[in-house]
Amino acid sequence: MFLELNGITKHFGEGESRVEVLKGIDLEIQKGEICVLLGPSGSGKSTLLNIIGGIDNADTGYIAINGEKTKDMNEKALTKYRRKHLGYIFQQYNLIPNLNIKENVEVGAYLSDSPLDVDDLLKTLGLYEHRHKLPNQLSGGQQQRTAIGRAIVKNPDILLCDEPTGALDYNTSKEILKLIEEVNKKYGNTVIMVTHNDAIKNMADRVIKLRDGMIRKNYTNEEKIAAADLDW
Amino acid sequence: MKSPLIRRIPRELKSEPGKQLAVFLFFVLIISAVSGFIVSADSLKEAYDETFEKYNIEHGNFELMQKADEQTFSDIEEEGDITLYENFYKQEETKGFDSKLRIFGQRDDVDRVCLLSGEMPYEENEIAIDRLYAKNHDLERGSEIEIEGAVLKVTGIVALSDYSCLYENPTDLMFDNDKFGVGVMSAKGFDSLREDKIHYCYSWMYNDGRPKDDTAANERAEELIKDISKHAAMTGFIPEYSNQAIHFSGNDMDGDRTSIMAFLYITVGILAFIFAITTDITITAEAGVIGTLRASGYTRGELVRHYLVLPMLTLITAAVIGNVLGYTFFEKYMAMAYLNSYSLTDYQVRFSPDAFIMTTAVPLVIMFIINLVTLTRKMKLSPLRFLRHDLSRRGKKKAFRLNTKIPIMTRFRLRVIFQNMPNYITIVIGTLLANAILLFGSVFNPMLENYQDSVSDNMLAEYIYVTKVPVETSVSGAEKGAMLSLETVGNKHDEDISVYGVADKSRYIRIDHSKDGVFLSSAYRDKYGIDEGDTIKLKDKYSDKNYTFNVNGFYDYPASLAVFMDIDSFREEFELDSDYGNIYFSNKELDDIDDSLIASKITRDDLTKTSRQLMRSLGSIVSIYKYFGVIMFVLVIYLLAKIIIEKNTQSISMTKILGYLPKEVNSLYVTPTTLVTIAAIIFTIPFSNWLIGFIMKVIFMSYPGYFKYEVSPVTLIGSGVIGVVSYILVSLLLGRKVKKIPLAEALKNAE
Repeated sequence: MFLELNGITKHFGEGESRVEVLKGIDLEIQKGEICVLLGPSGSGKSTLLNIIGGIDNADTGYIAINGEKTKDMNEKALTKYRRKHLGYIFQQYNLIPNLNIKENVEVGAYLSDSPLDVDDLLKTLGLYEHRHKLPNQLSGGQQQRTAIGRAIVKNPDILLCDEPTGALDYNTSKEILKLIEEVNKKYGNTVIMVTHNDAIKNMADRVIKLRDGMIRKNYTNEEKIAAADLDW
Repeated sequence: MKSPLIRRIPRELKSEPGKQLAVFLFFVLIISAVSGFIVSADSLKEAYDETFEKYNIEHGNFELMQKADEQTFSDIEEEGDITLYENFYKQEETKGFDSKLRIFGQRDDVDRVCLLSGEMPYEENEIAIDRLYAKNHDLERGSEIEIEGAVLKVTGIVALSDYSCLYENPTDLMFDNDKFGVGVMSAKGFDSLREDKIHYCYSWMYNDGRPKDDTAANERAEELIKDISKHAAMTGFIPEYSNQAIHFSGNDMDGDRTSIMAFLYITVGILAFIFAITTDITITAEAGVIGTLRASGYTRGELVRHYLVLPMLTLITAAVIGNVLGYTFFEKYMAMAYLNSYSLTDYQVRFSPDAFIMTTAVPLVIMFIINLVTLTRKMKLSPLRFLRHDLSRRGKKKAFRLNTKIPIMTRFRLRVIFQNMPNYITIVIGTLLANAILLFGSVFNPMLENYQDSVSDNMLAEYIYVTKVPVETSVSGAEKGAMLSLETVGNKHDEDISVYGVADKSRYIRIDHSKDGVFLSSAYRDKYGIDEGDTIKLKDKYSDKNYTFNVNGFYDYPASLAVFMDIDSFREEFELDSDYGNIYFSNKELDDIDDSLIASKITRDDLTKTSRQLMRSLGSIVSIYKYFGVIMFVLVIYLLAKIIIEKNTQSISMTKILGYLPKEVNSLYVTPTTLVTIAAIIFTIPFSNWLIGFIMKVIFMSYPGYFKYEVSPVTLIGSGVIGVVSYILVSLLLGRKVKKIPLAEALKNAE
């Protein structure tokens, strides 16, 4: 098993305002899968993604990648875990505003011993001609492509995508989803994507539906369709 | 109804208590120090100004060779239209400690005495002495002072109104309250002292009152000196307006203010700028809220006022507390700077309108204007721009290119520097200022010590005797010369220049007299920037006669401003007899000349008097500048670097999420500040050095003589090391701040 989640619980607040966000998540994800986490607001999907990404800690339970449990890691080890295994894509891109496009991608490349070629990647992403621009000079779609470039340049084992199309229009969203799909095919990364867009589940190998902090459905998508053919 | 936004203020204060407290305390510190300084200076100055009437300070005094008989006395009074008072004194050397004590008789009519503690003397062996002289020699009420032929018991501590500054002679380079003091005895006590030490000093008051200004006083004095000369042989003449013992302290109190005020305003300006940047960042962070409020009907003015409240409130509170501390604690402390130097009469702390205006009103205006301009510019944007978080006034910024061969980490750091250029420029200015303050505190005492060493190494002779009348000595090695005192012409402060006539082939002053012209002391050259071949113009103090000399060269003599010429030229120039001589250079004491014939004896102690006095009066106060410089350095750099980190919280969080290790994140966001700060420390040291040199030159221009501003490389390096060590403290705090930036929290805040 590539990625294993076992008995993950998480709460926020104390006393009367205590909210149990995750109530015992057990999950197994295979290497190279595209896994879509679906659920309404407050279902706990982003919290789960953050725990997988080592940004947040679970109250109980553990996560293991290739048998390596993150629970036993100190902060430094956790940072190295993110450095070695993870790439992150956010709804709001989170690019570094004072670095140009190429430099933003290079920031990701710096973390890997064997990164992808930055210029080749920029060409693949259609950003090469914009490489000297600052993020605020680009459209939302271009910025998200840059964020994808930054995440995949170090060729991570797992690509964590938190609502990657949440801030984009229909056409741009589809472009981004196509790109994620291409990356998955080309580099074989495991993709875990959080979304509340139900249509996106159709491009996934595995679909996990969350509600009230619990997995309500976990199934393999037998009728997977290409991102280019998605519609909503 | 009050704006509900006001409720945010206490929450904002609580949100960053460390920063608010640090800025607040710094404001309190500088305002209380400056307020204390101004209040003490104003209170002392007011008390000093009142002494002229309260203690009936003389309009001048002169000294005669012999006591004036009744006829002479009345002739001088009549011709000069003055009232004369006998103000005789006897000067004795003390036993047990090295000092000269000038003892006056009872003073009832002129130059009255202020009793500070104890009682006035009554019995023959009783004396009341000057406060500073007492302090410097650990004398108090009940102590005994031994002089030749008498043991005097101290009954009281006093201030002599005509000796607010303890100048032994009007021509002295500097006062010296360690080796010279004054005291008073009862009439019978004064009479009981040995007569051969008496000086027939007469104080005068003009019958038509004190001249209205120095020019009028000078004109009257010039007339008077002629009138007195007709009737008696004078050995001294000093009108009140040019008497350093009376006026030096008053002039000094007026002169210190400019530099202190400049320092306050620059500091407030820097802190106001820091507030403005902080507010700017807050507005950027709260753009969505501001856009919503503006869209809901809040006016620009209401929001500008809201964001002005915190900086103004901080400063107003600091000003109130600072002034309270200034009037209470700091006033006493700051007054010590003057009371350690001057023998001032008692004084009361008074309200100073200047202190209020300078420490409260002006800083508030500076703070208000800088913040108002920043806020008004920012708030001019439309609500929609705020809602879209599009606050850039110059449209979308373009990235300039950096060579891609430069490693990404280096490029990253360079981008951080370029992104935060205003902060870094302020850091450089703050570093410059802090360095200058630090350097001032560090160099003052070593500079005076160097001066003393230099003076000691380059003395003309161990002793220079100035005689009242031509006199011969048989002490071997003594060399006859001549000396008189002239004044500079055309400068803000007329300064005494000693003109020496030196024997040909002198064993003390080796100068080539073969060419026409004079030699100047190195101090004279350095103070007035004179080159070889220049012409100098000097004037006689007591007449309108001017003298012009060609400068032939320089003689290494840092102790005073002096002109050297061969003795024959001297006699010719000043129309003196061909065998005229009034000084002796000697490396041994001239024990065969009667004391009563010696006008003055210039020794090593006399030449280093100025530096010793400055060290005693200002040394400890100036050292405090070092600490102030460090506080300012730490505060400015920390606040500005903290702003840089706050501005980049999102990016820092992102780099952490990407997997950057803490030391790598620090190297991206703290190292640029480190590089800029270290570079600023290194590069501003020479400029700070120049600045302090310039300031010292301006300060010492009004002092007699010349202090060469010399700083050893060790002092400069030491100042840099203090800066670096202070920065290490700051960088630790910054590193802690970077470490505390959470990963998930920053992502949640993303809009």
